[in-house]
Amino acid sequence: MIQLHNITKTYHRGKLPTPVLLGIDLKMEAGEFLSIMGPSGSGKSTLLHILGLLDRPSGGSYRLDGSEVSSISDDDLARLRNAKLGFVFQAFHLLPRANALANVLLPFTYAGQFPPDAQERARQALSRVGLEHRLHHRPGEMSGGECQRVALARALVNDPEVILADEPTGNLDQRSSLEVMSLLQGLNAEGRTILLVTHDNAVGCMARRVLRLVYGRVCSDEKVANPTQALQQLATLPPPGVQG
Amino acid sequence: MSLTWRLLKAAFTSLWAFRSYALLMMIGLIIGIASLTVIHQIGQGTRQRVLSMMESMGFGSDAFFVSGGGGRLGVRRGMKRTMTITPADAEAVSRLDGVAQVVPHKNVTRTQVSAGARHTNTRVRGATPEWAAARRWGVARGRFLNVQDERRRARVVVLGTTVARELFAGMDPLGRRIRIGRTPFNVVGVLESKGSSGWRDRDDMVLIPLATAMTRMSRDDKLSGMRTNLEDPGRREEIKQEVTELLRRHHKLGPGVPDDFLIITPEELTQLITSQSRALVAMLSFISVVSLFVSGVVIMNIMLVAVSERSYEIGVRRAVGARRRDIMYQVLIESLAVSAAGGVCGLALGLLLSGLATLLLDVPTAFSPTGFIWALSFSCLVGLLFGLAPARKAASLDPVEALR
Ligand SMILES: Nc1ncnc2c1ncn2[C@@H]1O[C@H](COP(=O)(O)OP(=O)(O)O)[C@@H](O)[C@H]1O
Ligand SMILES: [Mg+2]
Repeated sequence: MIQLHNITKTYHRGKLPTPVLLGIDLKMEAGEFLSIMGPSGSGKSTLLHILGLLDRPSGGSYRLDGSEVSSISDDDLARLRNAKLGFVFQAFHLLPRANALANVLLPFTYAGQFPPDAQERARQALSRVGLEHRLHHRPGEMSGGECQRVALARALVNDPEVILADEPTGNLDQRSSLEVMSLLQGLNAEGRTILLVTHDNAVGCMARRVLRLVYGRVCSDEKVANPTQALQQLATLPPPGVQG
Repeated sequence: MSLTWRLLKAAFTSLWAFRSYALLMMIGLIIGIASLTVIHQIGQGTRQRVLSMMESMGFGSDAFFVSGGGGRLGVRRGMKRTMTITPADAEAVSRLDGVAQVVPHKNVTRTQVSAGARHTNTRVRGATPEWAAARRWGVARGRFLNVQDERRRARVVVLGTTVARELFAGMDPLGRRIRIGRTPFNVVGVLESKGSSGWRDRDDMVLIPLATAMTRMSRDDKLSGMRTNLEDPGRREEIKQEVTELLRRHHKLGPGVPDDFLIITPEELTQLITSQSRALVAMLSFISVVSLFVSGVVIMNIMLVAVSERSYEIGVRRAVGARRRDIMYQVLIESLAVSAAGGVCGLALGLLLSGLATLLLDVPTAFSPTGFIWALSFSCLVGLLFGLAPARKAASLDPVEALR
């Protein structure tokens, strides 16, 4: 499904060019759950942005579903993002003045044809992440964990093939992190491809495959023998409200 | 729900969320559009007043009016009462090539008219039988002045409705006798009511045969004026020139001596009325140009700041599939929404102010549909023009940068 061959990325900011990715090769099948790990500044986000068609590589080839996408037009990239990809960011990136439902409806705005059942699908996505009781709350009226789940609902409302998450648990407490991770694991169990960027080992080991980057190169690419199940971890936590 | 509709709704929602900024953006626009509206209202009011004056003087584009006494329209210092046009002049003008008809009249000074114990002051005008057709002004009762009246210099009178009401208070005036000054006249007809022309009551008048007015009611044999109907309105300037030469010759005016008559055309009337509001219109034009420009610059800068402040929103929209042009479209719609809202407020203010201008300054104003369209399209133009830079900036943001 995803094939990267010798992907490079060099930023040209200031006088000296900054090479960030130095030749990444990666092959992924549909339904995988990959976490991209590595120290800060190793190029994890840059790689995820390229994989998510938000950025273009400086060199190399990227085939998505068999077709080369490293050189297609901006508009085609936007169309592919809308149809095939869903994003979750560390800082949630919800629209502050729109309620949960409106935030989740956002991808439909750019879907070419606004589907007649958009409202219904947005509600379903929100109940999928356990927020059917928060439809009309704005981001400011919800906790961080709830916001990130709204963002997750927005990412999956369009029924994308791939969900890309850049440090989705970076701003969350342990319980909320586990809730988000268990949702991602559930989505993966349904057959959806997940790409997760994290620098947290405990989170990274919930994926089924871990790619480690160091200074813009792949240093290891391993299957996880026995991924941690977020749902089980959640059960071991003290119930909410009890100070630990 | 179409994309445009959804974007519009989103634009007005964010306008409401940022209403203090929106007000700041709209203030200049409101002033500018209000001024523009007042300008149009004055233009329309002027046109209407000219039309009604032309109507009340009885001519349109296919005619002009020759009046005794020289000077310029509106500023006829002292010359106003000097009557100089003779029946022979009228006769000569009517024989000019291209002149269809000449309808002369003579105004007798405002006179007291009475019926029994009742009396009133009114305008007395001597007119020929053609006058009614030329002015498209028929009688409501009885008959108009006819050729026999003219030939016999008959003492018959046709009353305007105001005079008929004053003298007879609802009774039938036909066949009754009134006095104009000391001379007795028989009432043969009552004119249709024309109402007020905006500057005087057109029904406050009585008509007597021109010959009667020339001989029995006045010491001089001069006409007050003559309406000159043309065969071809396109030749008006040319015929106006010929009439001028003819009258100067008849009146033996040497070179350098000013005309002792005045030819009034619709254009000159328009100029006269326009001159009343020219200064106001010039000031308003200045205000509207300056404030529209300033408001455009304010809108542009606030939107530019808003684009950088909301860059992550733009990044998110790009991430979920918005194309560059969708972002551009959204920002343009937002600036259009601000400017359209400002335009509507400005229009409302303009209508209010032009009402005040009429009330306090006696400037003629009237509702102008074109002004309505201009106000709205101009405000949208400002929004579009000055929204362009912010829209392009928003569209050119790199999604990764925007999300950082
Ligand atoms: N727009 C940019 N211009 C220049 N350098 C950049 C830019 N974006 C990222 N970088 C650099 O690229 C490197 C990798 O960044 P990133 O992919 O965000 O790392 P990570 O997500 O692994 O922490 C960093 O050293 C960062 O400074
Ligand atoms: Mg990062």
